[in-house]
Amino acid sequence: MQFLLHFCQWLYASSIGTAIRESVYLFPIIETVHVLGITLLVGTVAILDLRLLGLTLRSEPVTQVAGQILPLTWCGFAVMFVSGFLLFWAEAAKSYGNPAFRLKLLLLLLVGLNPLIFHFTIYRRVGTWDRSPVTPLRARAAAVISMALWAGIIIAGRAIAYF
Amino acid sequence: MLLPLFQALNNSALGAYMTNSTYGFAMAEVVHLLALALLGGTVLLIDLRLLGIGLRHQTVARVARSLSPLLTGSLVAMLVSGVLLVSGEALKCYYNPAFRVKMLLLVVAVTFYFALHRRVVAKAAITPSLWTKAAALISLALWLSVGLAGRAIGFL
Repeated sequence: MQFLLHFCQWLYASSIGTAIRESVYLFPIIETVHVLGITLLVGTVAILDLRLLGLTLRSEPVTQVAGQILPLTWCGFAVMFVSGFLLFWAEAAKSYGNPAFRLKLLLLLLVGLNPLIFHFTIYRRVGTWDRSPVTPLRARAAAVISMALWAGIIIAGRAIAYF
Repeated sequence: MLLPLFQALNNSALGAYMTNSTYGFAMAEVVHLLALALLGGTVLLIDLRLLGIGLRHQTVARVARSLSPLLTGSLVAMLVSGVLLVSGEALKCYYNPAFRVKMLLLVVAVTFYFALHRRVVAKAAITPSLWTKAAALISLALWLSVGLAGRAIGFL
């Protein structure tokens, strides 16, 4: 853990980290991109999850919705990752000990595992339920877990500023 | 002109609660953010579909019919949580230029969506035209500017 702390302190003290932190406009601009990027990342994931639950786009096949929406989700992920990393860069030494930041990273790890498990289990037989308005229980469970985790990530992310 | 309304909100029981409670403001903020994710997601998927990106295998009409209840629902959640947020700092908002710009843009965006955008979508189902793409771009620009102005409230 000592290594991580030193890495965060090194990032924090680096010229780029300092430049973002000390600039009047840079930090708020990156922050704004990060907040509005939520729509492209979490908004599109939520709509796919709601499709699995049968709450929207019910008549469209799951594979078609997923295939068309996920490229947008990945764009959102790229925007969030880059802007998020820049924000972290500027505040790394403070983020390291921030409980909300630690919780957010943990939830991000879990939210990454969820689609992996989903993909290699229930999604392998998607052919049998592709057109069902409401998908099998395990697919719906994955959708609920995904939405809960993403909501947790947004809440933890917002909470970083409160600590 | 609207000052008495904001003064009344500031002096109301709701205003007092939102100002004094420990978690009230933070909770409303969280609801506002979560609803933003869904509102933004539906707006993006509908408008990108009009531009020929995203849910291309589905017709414009089907995408819009499926997603517009989500759009309206998340918009209502944003309005309710937004009123709660404003009541916690009503007078500060009243004098905040970013807040004024946001309210103006919000009225334009909502009016545009319900008065024009939905009609364009209905027509696009039959004959897509240049108007379809223009409407999508105007809609994206309006909602984005509402978001930017909203973000700016905290900076001013």
